[in-house]
Amino acid sequence: MRFRTSALAIGATVALAGAAAGCSSGSGSSSASAVPTALTVWRMGPSVPAEVTWMNGVVTQFHKQYPTYAKTKINVVWIPWADRTTDWQKSLASGKNAPDVTELGNTDTPTEASLSMLADITSNVNAWSNKSDLVPGMLANDVQGGSTYAVPWFGGVRGIWYRKNEFQAAGITSPPTTWAQLLSDAKTVMKKYPGSYGIGAPSNYDYGFASFIWGAGGQIAVQQGTKWVGELTSPQSEAGIKFYADLTLTEHVSPGKYIGQTELGNPGATSGGANEDFGLGRLGMYIDGPWAQTEFPANAVDKAGFASFPVPSENGPNPAPAFAGGSDLGIFATSKYKTADWDLIQTMDSEPNSTTFANLQGFFPPYTSQLTGGAYSGSQIMSGFAKAATNTEIAPFNAKNWTVVDTTDQILPTMMKALEKGANFSSTVATANTEMQNVLNTGKAS
Amino acid sequence: MVDTVGDRQAANAAGTRRTGIRRTGPQRPAGQSALGAFMRRHRLAPYLLLLPSLAAIGLALIWPTLQIALYSLQNFGEPQIVGTEPAKWVGFSNFTTTLADPEFWLSLRTTVMFAAVLVTLTMITGTLVGLLLNRLGKRMAAFVSGAALLAWATPAVSASVIFVWFFSPDGGIVNWALEKLPHWLGGGQQWAQFNWATNGALPAYTIATILVVWQSFPFIAVTVLAGLKSIPTELYESARVDGAGAWQGFRKITYPMLKPIFLILGLLSIIWDFNVFTQTYIITGALGNRDEYNLALYSYSQAFQLPPAVGLGSALALILTVILLIITIGYVRANIKQGAVA
Repeated sequence: MRFRTSALAIGATVALAGAAAGCSSGSGSSSASAVPTALTVWRMGPSVPAEVTWMNGVVTQFHKQYPTYAKTKINVVWIPWADRTTDWQKSLASGKNAPDVTELGNTDTPTEASLSMLADITSNVNAWSNKSDLVPGMLANDVQGGSTYAVPWFGGVRGIWYRKNEFQAAGITSPPTTWAQLLSDAKTVMKKYPGSYGIGAPSNYDYGFASFIWGAGGQIAVQQGTKWVGELTSPQSEAGIKFYADLTLTEHVSPGKYIGQTELGNPGATSGGANEDFGLGRLGMYIDGPWAQTEFPANAVDKAGFASFPVPSENGPNPAPAFAGGSDLGIFATSKYKTADWDLIQTMDSEPNSTTFANLQGFFPPYTSQLTGGAYSGSQIMSGFAKAATNTEIAPFNAKNWTVVDTTDQILPTMMKALEKGANFSSTVATANTEMQNVLNTGKAS
Repeated sequence: MVDTVGDRQAANAAGTRRTGIRRTGPQRPAGQSALGAFMRRHRLAPYLLLLPSLAAIGLALIWPTLQIALYSLQNFGEPQIVGTEPAKWVGFSNFTTTLADPEFWLSLRTTVMFAAVLVTLTMITGTLVGLLLNRLGKRMAAFVSGAALLAWATPAVSASVIFVWFFSPDGGIVNWALEKLPHWLGGGQQWAQFNWATNGALPAYTIATILVVWQSFPFIAVTVLAGLKSIPTELYESARVDGAGAWQGFRKITYPMLKPIFLILGLLSIIWDFNVFTQTYIITGALGNRDEYNLALYSYSQAFQLPPAVGLGSALALILTVILLIITIGYVRANIKQGAVA
């Protein structure tokens, strides 16, 4: 879900469970219910030790729960987020090393389903006892043309990280709830800590600045009938875009080096960006999700002060809507063992397993009963994000052609980059709007 | 590649001569005569010797080119890769789509400007270093050429990463130095947070230019040096007697004598510098900054980023090939007119 163009992925694909990454789903009969000698699962992101331990536990459970598969080896391959699409392509194109089960960003699912990479699992999901407790919007995202292609695994929202003690020392009593307060707080913190910046506003970060568009009452694009209509040029959307661009361009509370960067740094890198600067105390506020916790540099300072608040709306008091990101689990259309695949997904996505896993990384489980239990409101870090999670948006990020807008054509980041460098505002936004609308509707920019 | 082909041709020529000699030689043992006679009658030996290299070129070059030509006329995307849908013939729509995309023209402009600067700078730097090497003593020449060849031998990926560090806004040496420079020399605080790699095409390609020139001038230098060694020193001596200076010596003797070498080097440089991928991929951030694409990055992005459009990528590759062909043919023609190729 975190569309970080991340990791100069040299050697980043690590195969676990003592398996060579080359092992695909073993050989044997082509019947879907056959017992596989091995299943390959693709996980996204770096192989964080806690997640590896969790996965090992799940594999043990899987072997116990389904004695038929007691001898089935589970090969876990870690794919850097930035490489996921090309790696899917490569495995499909070569017919080698393809996963049986893969994690997908929830915005990948509509695209990949429509491109027939994923197996149709409608009947499995309908027969699943957990189906009724899944957050309905999250499951709806995985349905294309009446068929289900994946199940939600965990979800998350972005908010704004800050340090409680820094705010106090600067004389800020409560987190901002309007843009005017956000800006003045950024300036106050920056003044209090010379050499630091107030808030990070990287340009290649549409999942972050989307909240500012929504927070002014604007939309990125809306669906009218079967057509997408670009909404970037509405006065509300423009207000949000301008506020974010001006953090760098005119207010200088965000450093110029974030122009062309993601929240993690230069695209492809995982350091040298706002994430690292916030961790090292060189940045007062940082827009990201709770999962950033696991990504701050090891030598991050003053971690006890970490806290969060939701992105404010233009005039308050309620927060701006946040992008409902998350990950899904799906079965590769090419897998020979779809029954075993689905059994493994049921184990990984059981209520207790998905909840412990979500908590491990700073995400939320996809189950209504778990979310409404009040487990998150008491945490200094999670409370702000939990508040943000109550008001979410996903369109147009779940549109079939969104990945072209985002990954291939980079329409919003390119627009924001130009604006932060001082390009003509209305013409830049108008060009991006037309281009985005074309791609959403046809898959092509012109 | 050019060298290898040349070598092969030489080898083949030698082969032909050998068979010619054998024909007049003494009687062969009867066993091998039938096939041997057939081959000699039809003069097949040269073709047989050409076969391995032809197979290699066919496999590595001709077959992929044909494949690309096929894809460029199809809607070859993910469903076709997976095999759920057959490829459809779409005529020239991949080409019209590409030519209508403003991003294509932007990356073409970047590519052409980048290549023009690179070719000029590498040729000039390489020639100057070649001339220098020719004048240096044995030890110093070994030292200089050794240092230069190290740059040439540095893997592109490592070199790119190191150069990105040099230009990093977080304590990179370049920003540090620019910050320290006095104001009237353009120095100052504004450089502290300047991100060369991602701020735009011009700063990013400034890094790329320095890097690629650094990596590719040694080849030019060594080749020019080899050429210089072949020029008889008497020419320079007599020129000096006639009162010619260093510049005149270069213009009237060195340059005309080395013209064929400059032609080849220029051609190779154009081809290489048009296709710079590794360095630009790493510097501009793994396809993360669209406004900094050159054609190589653009076509890679079209072909392999989600959703993959192999058809579009292939059309682009063909367009790039045609552009290169036009430029190289124009370049060679211009040189022939000037008499560089006798």
